[in-house]
Amino acid sequence: MTKGANYDAIIVGGGHNGLVNAAYLARAGKHVLVLERRHVLGGATVTEEIFPGFKYTVLSYVVSLLRPEIIRELDLPSHGLEILPLESTVTPLPNGDYLGRWADHDQTRRELYRHSPRDAEAYDDYGKLMYHLAYAVKPIVAMVPPDPTSLSFKDLRGLLKVGKHFRSLGEEQFHALFKLMTMSSSDFLDEWFETVPLKATMSASGIIGTFLGPRSPGTAYVLLHHYMGELDGAFRAWGFARGGTGAISASIAGAARKFGAEIRTEAGVTQVTVKDGRATGVVLDNGDEISARVVVSGLDPKHTFLNLVEANHLPGDFVDTIRRFKIRGSSGKVNLSLSELPNFTCLPGVGPHLRGAISISPSVDYIERAYDDAKYGDFSRRPYMDIIIPSMIDPTMAPPGKHVMSIFVQYAPSDLTGGWNETKREAFGDAVINTLSQFAPNLPSAILHRQVMTPWDMERDMGLTQGNIFHGELSLHQLFFLRPAPAWCDYSTPLKNYYQCGSGTHPGGGISGWSGRLAALKVLKDW
Amino acid sequence: MTKIYDAVVIGAGHNGLVTAAYLAKSGLSTLVLERRDVVGGAAATESIFEGFRFDTGAHRIGSLHPSLMNDLELGRHGVEILHLDPPVFAPLADRRRLLLWRDPQRTAESIREISKADADRWVPFTQLVAQAAGLLEAAYATTPPNVVTGGARDLWTALKLAARLRRLGKKDMIEVLRILPMSVKELLDDWFESDALKGTLAATGITGIFQGPMAAGTAFTFLHHHVGVASGVLRPTTRVRGGVGALTTGLAAAAAARGAEIKTNSEIARVLVEDGKATGVVLETGDEIRARRVISNADPRRTFTQLVQPSELNPEFARKIGNIKFKGACAKVHLALREPPDFTCLPGSGHHLNGVISVSPSIEYLERAYDDAKYGDVSQRPYLEAIIPTVTDPSLAPTGKHIVSIHVQYAPYSLREGKWDDERRQALGDAVVETLAEYAPNLESAVLQRHVLTPADLEDTLGLTEGNIYHGELTMDQLFFMRPVPECARYRTPIENLYLCGAGTHPGGGVTGAPGYNAAREILRDVKGRG
Repeated sequence: MTKGANYDAIIVGGGHNGLVNAAYLARAGKHVLVLERRHVLGGATVTEEIFPGFKYTVLSYVVSLLRPEIIRELDLPSHGLEILPLESTVTPLPNGDYLGRWADHDQTRRELYRHSPRDAEAYDDYGKLMYHLAYAVKPIVAMVPPDPTSLSFKDLRGLLKVGKHFRSLGEEQFHALFKLMTMSSSDFLDEWFETVPLKATMSASGIIGTFLGPRSPGTAYVLLHHYMGELDGAFRAWGFARGGTGAISASIAGAARKFGAEIRTEAGVTQVTVKDGRATGVVLDNGDEISARVVVSGLDPKHTFLNLVEANHLPGDFVDTIRRFKIRGSSGKVNLSLSELPNFTCLPGVGPHLRGAISISPSVDYIERAYDDAKYGDFSRRPYMDIIIPSMIDPTMAPPGKHVMSIFVQYAPSDLTGGWNETKREAFGDAVINTLSQFAPNLPSAILHRQVMTPWDMERDMGLTQGNIFHGELSLHQLFFLRPAPAWCDYSTPLKNYYQCGSGTHPGGGISGWSGRLAALKVLKDW
Repeated sequence: MTKIYDAVVIGAGHNGLVTAAYLAKSGLSTLVLERRDVVGGAAATESIFEGFRFDTGAHRIGSLHPSLMNDLELGRHGVEILHLDPPVFAPLADRRRLLLWRDPQRTAESIREISKADADRWVPFTQLVAQAAGLLEAAYATTPPNVVTGGARDLWTALKLAARLRRLGKKDMIEVLRILPMSVKELLDDWFESDALKGTLAATGITGIFQGPMAAGTAFTFLHHHVGVASGVLRPTTRVRGGVGALTTGLAAAAAARGAEIKTNSEIARVLVEDGKATGVVLETGDEIRARRVISNADPRRTFTQLVQPSELNPEFARKIGNIKFKGACAKVHLALREPPDFTCLPGSGHHLNGVISVSPSIEYLERAYDDAKYGDVSQRPYLEAIIPTVTDPSLAPTGKHIVSIHVQYAPYSLREGKWDDERRQALGDAVVETLAEYAPNLESAVLQRHVLTPADLEDTLGLTEGNIYHGELTMDQLFFMRPVPECARYRTPIENLYLCGAGTHPGGGVTGAPGYNAAREILRDVKGRG
């Protein structure tokens, strides 16, 4: 470790994982500095008042996976974290009907029964299985992945632990888990259900952030994530943070500061300095150099290894692996300011459905066709959308009487044929509004402002390489000990004193803080 | 007193015959019962038109289990394996073409005409494939271990496989683990730039499955088809002289020479089960045949929904059998020709007609063919794998005449609207001939006769559920200890003395004999165990 350094640790990037990492290091008594390029903290976990009075959850918009131990250990509620439940998911259908799933179990059951008595029965069994599997998988997700190629005692012990754990599941659950890991979400759900919009809406969760359609193997696994979310100990709940996801980042930053971390915004890092094969600090975009005993990058693997560090400091094989790491962006985001609430044909007027999620996923074919557009380099003309109206959950998000709407959209490929530009961005926004207005005809006239985020914008504004919201595709060959690169799955890197803590590491994706926390534990262990 | 056989095998497909031959070789009195009038199942050669003999199911074979030729003296029974060279000829637009040869250097030279960079990467890529396939080969030769509740032997098998994986060395081991779950497109994009080369290789990743090359898991299917293949050769084309039927008649002869009885035109009505144990079979004629064990070469769905009474099965097991994915994706077209096809890109006759002719100009072409099928339509521009066996084996047609056998993808078993009928069958035939004629314009006028097998026809004539050529889709969720369902992954079934030996079991489809070989080993182990 460098003697006489300015700081014990510098965290590059003030996204939620970087902040969690900083908070844990500061909590352990380290002298920590967080450097954020933008004027606002949070990275992709941010709330911004893009238009006066209207607060947008610019990218991420809901939370389900945020680790309870992080909430507890960092005492986030005392720093303003409050999670409000999302009560429902409603899927409007082209024929004017809808499919709803509600927080109230009996209500959901009645609703499913209306569509298919068989599915109403299967839904409970399915929920039970997924609940068990989520419990079963959690310890694996929560561990630092062992390196299966290593013969070290630690890694062998880790492998043994994984092996023993799987054996302890029992045959039925082990086989179900194997199917989840290898099947398409569509095939997996076909084994359980017959209601088309139910299968479509559930399978949609398997494609988020991937460049795959619901019929592609590998998408079933993410179904499990929905059952892994824990909110104050309650499984399966999706929530909205009061003040938007930016409030989550703000509360973590608050905790980090309370433990003594220093946080600077508008301080972009251009380079990690290296001396004698060790990271020794960073260079800022204004030319300043700051030294530290360790540097932790919260950026995605491409930035972390290909931009911040000169290639000659890293092994050639490793650099090749990072170059091949798949990070295609596939989603977009549209945020709207509304003069009035959308009026859905299937559920006219104001109702509880507007306080939950609205999913534009009438059938698996619909989502699959949306994917077809993207795989040949176009954005979906009729995209899959996951919509919430934050101002219905937290009225402070918009001026009185007005509303904000958050629309997650898939697919918007990062490698659009001919490249993205402003015209194409607006055409994409139009496709979204056009599609949505078929279900809520008053929408176009209610729009006061519109913000369209394509992968191009996400890359430029948030620094997400290719606009990938998970810092790398969540496909089977990029998970666990392969994330982001084999043998470098334990948050360390081939460069001494340089660590990684972003979503591009295990377990990756979503607002969980998992990577930030596990990385901090690793840094402290190596100290 | 009626005879009690040691073993009755239902179905004389190639795996059933392999199992029967090994059981007979070990001294078990063995009877094989075949529904059709020919042996071979989906590996048969039949006269569809007078004087023209076609491989009605598989028109090339996979890598035969290495022990079969010697153990069963198949050479003596007339089996001659032909490794065709070049294995693949891919005609392209603008008079370009790609040839894959058995010699990797020669292939690299052919690739050099379309991409210099790809030519340089060819040999290292074949080495990676050989390594990954070698690993699968070790897994395929074993009975899948029960990794959850299994005992010492299962764990030992699992450990041996893990050790085999580790022997690859750190870098290669990681690479193999990494590529298994990928899409074949991602795998090929990592290596090559040429659309034609990628399309031609990717076709192997989708053969027989209802997925496009952009779907995760197709890299695995690609590797599956390279198990047992000589290092350096990709997309091998292997035939049997006289047609694939010569292999199955050879196997039947080998089984008979070891004492097995084989009866054709003997359809099974059901398996006799008494006190949860299989005790024989009942024929359609009502005749009962008693046996100490019954081995089904039929696919698992057919075995457990048509041959076994539902009351014999636990409902959870029945549900799993019902959930096996079949999703037939292919059709076959057989043409009798007055002259061989004349390709614009390589006119006249020549080596290029020896192996398969692959219409797979790009990954996007294959993916678009899949797009049609995914919504229940036949591909407007299908992927074709055609072979003209008469080029290397003229005995299959009258002098001077030729046959073409074409594997067509995608032809979905479940259509968006309606069912397969003659109109759709002929439309499929037209689309296939038109597609191939784009590269060989003389084809349309050269056709003397045409025969089309839709997925529904494959089901009706060959007994393949939903027309799936592999007895169940060859995707990762249905392999190894999951194939066909965990309860039957070790060739035994929940019904005592009833076994499976067909392609629906590990290691799956293709004409390899491996499931039949593994099944025989497990059955003999049980026989021995009971003294």
